[in-house]
Amino acid sequence: MANKFDIQIRAEKQYAILETAGYLNDALGERLSKEAQELIEKGYTQLVINLDKTALINSIGISILIEIIEALEQHDGTLNFCGLSATQERTFRMMAIAKYAGIFPDEKTAIANF
Amino acid sequence: MQLSTAEETIQRLIFSLSELEHLGQTLISGRSNFNISSKTYLRITLGTLQVTGGAILCYQSTDDFLNITASTPEVDVPPIEIEPDEITSLLECSFVDLDNPPDDLQEFIDRNSESLNCNSIHQLWVPLKIHDEFLGILSLGKFLGRSKLEEWEQELLTILAHQISIAIAYSRNEERIQSEKFRLFMLAESAPQICQLLQPEDAAEQVVHQAVALLDANVGALMFMQPEEQNLELRYVFPPDIMDPDDEENENTRNILVPLNGSENDTSESQSITSVDMLANVVKEGRTHQCSAKADKLFGGRTLMAGPIQGRDGDILGVLVVGDKEERGGSIADFTFEDETLLDSFAKQAGVAIENAHLHQEALEARQLQAEMEEARKIQENLIPETLPEIPGYEVAGYYEPRGPVGGDYFDCIELATGGWGLAIADVSGKGMQAALLMATLRAGLLSELSRVRAENIPIDMKNELIDMAMTLNSLLYVSGTEEKYATFFYCHLNPDTDTITTLNGGHNPPLIVKSSGDIVWLGEEVGGLPLGMFPNDMVPLIAKYEAEQIKLESGDVIIFYTDGVTETVNIDDEFYDEERLEQVAINSAKNDAAYICNYIHQSVIDFQGDADQFDDLTMLVLRKK
Repeated sequence: MANKFDIQIRAEKQYAILETAGYLNDALGERLSKEAQELIEKGYTQLVINLDKTALINSIGISILIEIIEALEQHDGTLNFCGLSATQERTFRMMAIAKYAGIFPDEKTAIANF
Repeated sequence: MQLSTAEETIQRLIFSLSELEHLGQTLISGRSNFNISSKTYLRITLGTLQVTGGAILCYQSTDDFLNITASTPEVDVPPIEIEPDEITSLLECSFVDLDNPPDDLQEFIDRNSESLNCNSIHQLWVPLKIHDEFLGILSLGKFLGRSKLEEWEQELLTILAHQISIAIAYSRNEERIQSEKFRLFMLAESAPQICQLLQPEDAAEQVVHQAVALLDANVGALMFMQPEEQNLELRYVFPPDIMDPDDEENENTRNILVPLNGSENDTSESQSITSVDMLANVVKEGRTHQCSAKADKLFGGRTLMAGPIQGRDGDILGVLVVGDKEERGGSIADFTFEDETLLDSFAKQAGVAIENAHLHQEALEARQLQAEMEEARKIQENLIPETLPEIPGYEVAGYYEPRGPVGGDYFDCIELATGGWGLAIADVSGKGMQAALLMATLRAGLLSELSRVRAENIPIDMKNELIDMAMTLNSLLYVSGTEEKYATFFYCHLNPDTDTITTLNGGHNPPLIVKSSGDIVWLGEEVGGLPLGMFPNDMVPLIAKYEAEQIKLESGDVIIFYTDGVTETVNIDDEFYDEERLEQVAINSAKNDAAYICNYIHQSVIDFQGDADQFDDLTMLVLRKK
């Protein structure tokens, strides 16, 4: 797995999708947080984060994801995750991320559950 | 209705208290990320004190910088560099007026004038702290409608600053708890995950990935011990681009060979040891070591920590390396004692996983080898004749005993259309499938050649025919095998009408003739050629060309063809059975029929061997003229 990280953003009318690629550490996490904040400021309160191309997340990446959830909550928004590996899903449940954000297998289901 | 000053003050205080209560609830809910709530804290402070602008600057001890977390209005200024003694000075102040700072902070303010040159947010500083831990600065800009704060406003500012300090400390503690929770979970989760991986390469990759994530590192590598060379070989590295082959600095990182015997640097000062020293010390002492980013460029100039990967019996299988532990904000921190403990725990699990994967791989290879050997054995069984034909006027007997899973010997007795007989014996180098296939090729080639002779009717010159046949078989085996794959080969053409044998030796043990008179003749000793398949045809005449010889047999003559498994059988005293013993035993039994002679020699070899181990196939072919 290369560490080439990237974020693809697809903003629709009601929601926006942020698709990450690479190691979700501080560098990628800060970019993700910045992109999410900008979307929130533009009025997007329904966000999907697709982690299908992110196999590796460290504790800073997790804390940044929690931060995005809190930022969205301040705007009564919702965050749904998709594309998680089985380990990532277990991690998210253990870290209580799943209590405040939805976890779905794919983008289609994540969008349908806003 | 216009409010009085006192009423305004009371309303500002009520607003402030109500907002603080709300934030307090958020704080104790366990989800209180200060990066998110800092804007609200700033808004409450500015609103309560009626200040037009301000900022909250947070301090991280790992990078010695103050970074703006929230500001009104939003500004984009570089981080403010701060020295430890300047922090000490700040901690002694309740407030710092930036227009009139204490003397010991003047240099600090001058040095950061570019970042602080913004009166709208930097006019009055309140240090944020819990006890003596410096957390940051609450910075206020211009006061609305007044030049300075009232005394009661200063008291309120102190309370608000304290609330903000608590929020920062709480948020950091929460992050630390979350991080520890994450690490413990990852540690527990990673063991079964990596132990499921059965391919060593997959296991190596996952071990590095898990270690990197577990320790918030940015670099990871796994190196395996090469016990024979006393070296460590790089097996997997993350990210792969730190080994960019075009980068001169990283040119030598793909195969890091660490001379483990050569390192004498045993200093505990990580600042002064190189990456190579660190790796060697890990192997030597079997414990975690660190080295600083300044040490060398082996992993691209990173702060490194390495721990031993040990197998079940405590042997060091390799070294797990992580590098550049990051903190929020991107700064690189030193690995702590807790990190060392964590790496050590993870490396123990990784050792089990890697050993499992290797054992699985070995078991798989053993199973494959076993299956291949079984196939090879079947092939070879089909090549050795179950029964030998009856040759009028002659007796013929054979014996073949493979020693080991699959042997490399071959013998045959073939009736030719010419009325003659072909007797062949061969010993293919090596064992297993390759040897069996080479033997099958030799036999197929031999049968094909003998058919060709048959089709062209009776050959005029048998010697030349055999030499041509040897060259053809040599070429066939040369292109079929590798340099190490060849066969010693002895062929005997028997013309029963003339009782003449024409023989050709391709590097094989010379067969033995016991004449009816009791004399001994060694066949092919003087006219031997090269083993088949060892050299290409054009080189054969330059080294030792094939030659054939003819001998007339008389009644009672016995020819004993054998492979080196007979004469090289060893006893418990490491003595060879050798040619002299074979000669004597052959003489002793030569008056009997061929089957008896064959069994007699075999029993003699077995008796000689005693309790010693068998190393080679035992093959004999006996021809006796009645």
